Amino acid sequence: MTLASFTTPSGFLLPSIHSAPPFFTQQPNPNTQSIVTENWTRLILTYARYRRLFFIKLEDAETKGGDWDEVLRNERINRQLFPSHLSHILSQMVERNQAVYEPQKQTRSVLLYWRLPEEWAEVLHEWVTTTGQLNSILTFYEIIEPPIESVLSGIPMTLLRKAISILGRTGRAQIISVADGEGVRFFAGTGK
Amino acid sequence: MSLAVYTKPVDGTIPVAALLYDDEDLLASQDGVGIYDGNQKSPPHQSGSIHITSHRLFFITSSSYPFRSQSSSASLDDSFSLDLASISQTEYYAGLFTSSAKITLHLTPQSALSPSGSAPAEAGAESNNWATWECEVCGYRNPPGLSPAKSAVCGLCGVPRSISSPSSSSSPSPAPIRNSKPSSLPTLSTASHLQTRAISTPPSPDTDAQPTSDFIECPACTFHNHPSLRVCEICSTALPPRVPQGAHAKSAPTSRAMTPAPGPPSLDADEPGMIKLSFRKGGDKNMYAVLKRSLLGKGWEVKEVIARKSGTSTPGTGSATPGVSGINQILQSIQTTSQARQTDLSSALSDLEALMNQTKKMVNLAKDLCIRWEAIEAKNAFNPYPTAATPTASSSNTTHDKESAKFIRNSLSQLGLQLPNAPVTQDMYDDERRWVEGLAVELAGVLQGSQGMNSVGGIMKRRGIVGLDEIWGGWNRARGVALIPPSTFLSVLPHLQVHTNPTLLTRSFPSGLTVLHTPPYTHKAFTARLVSLLTLSGEKTTLDIAREEEVNVGLAREMVEAVERDGEVVRDEDGGEGEGGVFGGGKEVRWWRNVFVEYAWDGQTF
Repeated sequence: MTLASFTTPSGFLLPSIHSAPPFFTQQPNPNTQSIVTENWTRLILTYARYRRLFFIKLEDAETKGGDWDEVLRNERINRQLFPSHLSHILSQMVERNQAVYEPQKQTRSVLLYWRLPEEWAEVLHEWVTTTGQLNSILTFYEIIEPPIESVLSGIPMTLLRKAISILGRTGRAQIISVADGEGVRFFAGTGK
Repeated sequence: MSLAVYTKPVDGTIPVAALLYDDEDLLASQDGVGIYDGNQKSPPHQSGSIHITSHRLFFITSSSYPFRSQSSSASLDDSFSLDLASISQTEYYAGLFTSSAKITLHLTPQSALSPSGSAPAEAGAESNNWATWECEVCGYRNPPGLSPAKSAVCGLCGVPRSISSPSSSSSPSPAPIRNSKPSSLPTLSTASHLQTRAISTPPSPDTDAQPTSDFIECPACTFHNHPSLRVCEICSTALPPRVPQGAHAKSAPTSRAMTPAPGPPSLDADEPGMIKLSFRKGGDKNMYAVLKRSLLGKGWEVKEVIARKSGTSTPGTGSATPGVSGINQILQSIQTTSQARQTDLSSALSDLEALMNQTKKMVNLAKDLCIRWEAIEAKNAFNPYPTAATPTASSSNTTHDKESAKFIRNSLSQLGLQLPNAPVTQDMYDDERRWVEGLAVELAGVLQGSQGMNSVGGIMKRRGIVGLDEIWGGWNRARGVALIPPSTFLSVLPHLQVHTNPTLLTRSFPSGLTVLHTPPYTHKAFTARLVSLLTLSGEKTTLDIAREEEVNVGLAREMVEAVERDGEVVRDEDGGEGEGGVFGGGKEVRWWRNVFVEYAWDGQTF
């Protein structure tokens, strides 16, 4: 009974626990289940970060062919994570601020915080600084889809707003209305 | 005199359409028709119209008949109807010169037409044709005007009318509806009295029948009663039934012919009658065709057949012929079913009783046998070689006997018939605590086998863990008499530890299952054994574990789940594609050693 880690076609290194069939079963024992949940959380966040995935939905466990197949299914041992189990894991993640339900007031889809909004704020500010765009007005679109791909490419709007509002609280960013929507102006670090 | 016998008078002033039954259809009409009764012209019926319906043939006299004034008795009511059912054969004569075309109707003999038994019922039904009646079962008021066959059953629920009015003959309608009324009562009149009535009665439609010569004398008070009465009008004594005097001419329900017989007509009912229709104004061919068709259609017969059939299906009801449809049938089938069930049940119970008697005998026999073997064995033990005369034979005999004795005792003990240790009962002890102690000792014997007798194995001789239900059942079976109630059984259990050698312990699972088990089956011991098993040989299903531990699957599941609650094992539910619940019902669960506890992340890191 030796479990080995496994590298997926996308190059992600799955942990050895992913090859253990009980890992896919929701354990009735709360202590056991907490370990299972913890490992799943870590696996999901790591994979999300690896693939730059921001969302996970219960549909991903229900149907095949999504971005999450490599993690939620293990064809080698013929196991899959069931939606009920995934739902349990997601609720635990939301509880621990590792994800939020997005959109709100439902539990089938979450926005994953493989970086916390605070961390995203720092990343954003650093990016603006390094690309020399301080004090100039950027539209949200320019941040989400910059001409040169950045760490922020594809970041969901809600997460971006959260990061900007965190920056705004420390006076490093200001939301400005521009002709075609909203823009944001960044200021230098701890100036204010 | 066929005409008088076979026909029924009708009121010719009424249009024919109004005379029909509700289910009767008028098929064709023809005027200018005369009637021959037999081979002779029937004077009152020389000019009229013929109407053929699906059930009957009507003759309606036309008022312009010249002879009418001649015969004072002749009136519009010389009109009559003839049931097509009584026509056995028809003949057609095309006519020659002055002789007009004729249709000859050969009539069925009356005795053949009305078989005994059904005649009164039919007649009775006819008598009430023009009255409404209420069904006894469903309360439906049946309208008048149905044909005799049809009006015999309720139009709504199909229950035969004979049920609601069991003896149609004994229920004279209070209001005489028409003068056809008394005549249609099933008086089994003789031919002679038919004559007298026919003569004596003025054939006027408005006068009621006054049969003068036709009384029943009351045997008690000699009062002359009306023939249709069953009991004396004065003293209520039952009247003697009116016996037909002749073998033939049994019933003449339609005998109230209005035709005054020209002389004493010599009617022999067995001789088929004959009526001729003379078509003086043509139309004969068409009428004959219609008549033929109507005869072939047998519109009057269909329902009668059904009624008769149902009559045979319930013999014993006699003239009361229940229908085979509607509520009646449902009621009938329910009654039949319940009757059958009751018969089955009673026979089964009697079987059971017989079996019980037999059992008692068997038990007594077995006990007797046991005692005898005991005695023989004791004797043999005391004197192994009884006689010197036949040493070899007897010694082989003895060993054989011993073996069979052992076998029989084993069988008996398996049956729960251990005579040597008779069941412990409360009256053996004066103190309840000591009684419970005694019971504990007995139970220990049942479970682990008597210490003295190695041959007798107990319930837990080879099994380490057994459910309480099984033990209780086994114990009571072993006792055979003075059975132990569960409450007493439970109070005995704590005392068991003292008397058992490996100590038997009780254990309750969360599901409520309580077991007795030997020390190797304590939770701790089992956990250790299970974990090492899983570590050594990988995952196991519940079934595997049950086999390994030699316990039943349900018990194994309980035990493993208890270990799971400690976090020592984890489950793997192979749910396939189905919706995965936590405690999936029919899914196979594989058990793993807890692979999570000491797990360290060895996957992707950043």
